[in-house]
Amino acid sequence: MSDIKEKLFQELSDAVVDMDEDKAVAVSKGVVALGIDAYQAIEHGLSAGMERAGVLFDEEEYFIPELLMCSDAMYAGMDVLKPHLRLDGVAEKHKVVIGVVEGDTHDIGKNLVKIMLETSGFEVTDLGRDIPPARFVEKAKEIGAKIIALSTLMTTTMDGMASVIRQLNDEGIRDRFKVIVGGGPLSQGFADRIGADGYAVNAADAIRLARSLVAVEADVAVAAGLGAAA
Amino acid sequence: MSRDLMTPLARLSAYAAGQPIDRLPCVPIVGNTAARVVGARVGEFRGDGRLIAEAQVASYRLFNYDIIRIFTDLYTQAEAMGATVNYPEDETAYLAAPAVSDLSGIERLRPADPLKDGNLPHHLEAMRRAVDAVGAEVAVTGAVTCPFTNASFLVGAENLARLMMKDKAAVHRLCEISLETSLSYCEAILDAGCTPSLTDAMSSMSVIGPRQFREFSYPYLKRLIDYIHGRGKGVTLHICGKTSGIWEAMVEAGADCLSLDNDASILDAKLAVGDRVRLMGNVKPSEIMLQGTVDEVRRATLDCVAQGGDNPKGFIVASGCSLPTETPFANIHAMLDAVREAGWPVKPQVL
Repeated sequence: MSDIKEKLFQELSDAVVDMDEDKAVAVSKGVVALGIDAYQAIEHGLSAGMERAGVLFDEEEYFIPELLMCSDAMYAGMDVLKPHLRLDGVAEKHKVVIGVVEGDTHDIGKNLVKIMLETSGFEVTDLGRDIPPARFVEKAKEIGAKIIALSTLMTTTMDGMASVIRQLNDEGIRDRFKVIVGGGPLSQGFADRIGADGYAVNAADAIRLARSLVAVEADVAVAAGLGAAA
Repeated sequence: MSRDLMTPLARLSAYAAGQPIDRLPCVPIVGNTAARVVGARVGEFRGDGRLIAEAQVASYRLFNYDIIRIFTDLYTQAEAMGATVNYPEDETAYLAAPAVSDLSGIERLRPADPLKDGNLPHHLEAMRRAVDAVGAEVAVTGAVTCPFTNASFLVGAENLARLMMKDKAAVHRLCEISLETSLSYCEAILDAGCTPSLTDAMSSMSVIGPRQFREFSYPYLKRLIDYIHGRGKGVTLHICGKTSGIWEAMVEAGADCLSLDNDASILDAKLAVGDRVRLMGNVKPSEIMLQGTVDEVRRATLDCVAQGGDNPKGFIVASGCSLPTETPFANIHAMLDAVREAGWPVKPQVL
């Protein structure tokens, strides 16, 4: 990596950690003007910064307000860089459908998971909040998602998560998707009981979980002689 | 299991005075589960103070816990100030839309009149009726959403979080007007012969940091608690999720009892602030109370007693947060039974 590239990537990363939207935009424009690869600038600059912000969150240096401001800076930079992505050079991303289950409109947790998933190279379709089980299944089929991520903060809506899995079973397509769940009242025990593929205690954990689930799938594919999926 | 020998009020006052009691106070925090006790649907609580009181009193009589708390959801004050709340037929109400969608709307917000606006009058009616029915034997409290949390319902949680970083004055305006509503609601609750019970979900360290708590939540919380103290009542303050970094501030704000969620350690809280405040908690509401077996409830309850039973300023064995509506009755009975089994003084061989 040339010095100038390295310096700009570091500045992008710092702009995100420092919650500096203006700087993220200005540096991104600099990247474009110099003809530096936009994909690398996102990966080694903006996303790297968001990962640092995630570590600060884990360490209780940052809280949700800071994390939201960091993500605002990241997305501001992305808006500048995205039109300059050379699509052919970029590996296809794993697709995720995410949403808050029906009856619940608390979406801060879901939004954080979405941000961190995007940061980690997943392509996320966000259905929003208060989403009926059938919508998750429909959208996952439509876009060919690998992962369905279900969130709730309320105990009253936990059953909606089981409904999604029941519907996948009923349609005989359960094995096409990994279903992950998260939110305040949930536990690993609950995830096991409803037959989910995993439970994440927070946004950082959700990323680890999502990565491990698609990695397992790639391993299985290799073992079966099909070649890595990603 | 042995029957209780004291009424909840007699037990709490003897406990506070250091006199003998039959068992530790115990509060499985029953909210909409009370609907199940009287065979009602949760949605029927909307606008029906008589039914809320009937259900809460019946629930108290069924389980014999130590504090009644009139509570259906966190949004009653925000709704009375213009937020839109959805009421499913048989599930807990939830926030559909905040009261204002942009900054200019903040100036138009007005404090609620608890005697007129939204469902506040019905909740006050429920409190009066419950006090009339059983106030001589058990403390009846009314849930009050604290200013910072209410502010998040007025403008939306994410908007509030961004405003904290970009426009502090706007956050303070939202908290100030929320405080005005909280104060007049508390006044009406106290006039009804009931005690306010404070709940501040968004002040959790799971959402904001200790410095942000000090800056945006604490000042309003303190003024609210000062008012309740001025009316001669003690204050229980519940904050959900992680709280270890703000226990000191919660105590400084004047709380007499900290109600802690299961992301906090009763043992750590005892060592940190137990010489200054009573503690209350923290059996897991979902994992144990809703989904656990009777035996798991017993063990979790005894574990709480082991951690907090000798707290210098006292301990109330409780769930970490409001119980999910469908919590099995057997698990609520099991919690009380475990506390009876532990007895007082707590039998070490039971723990």
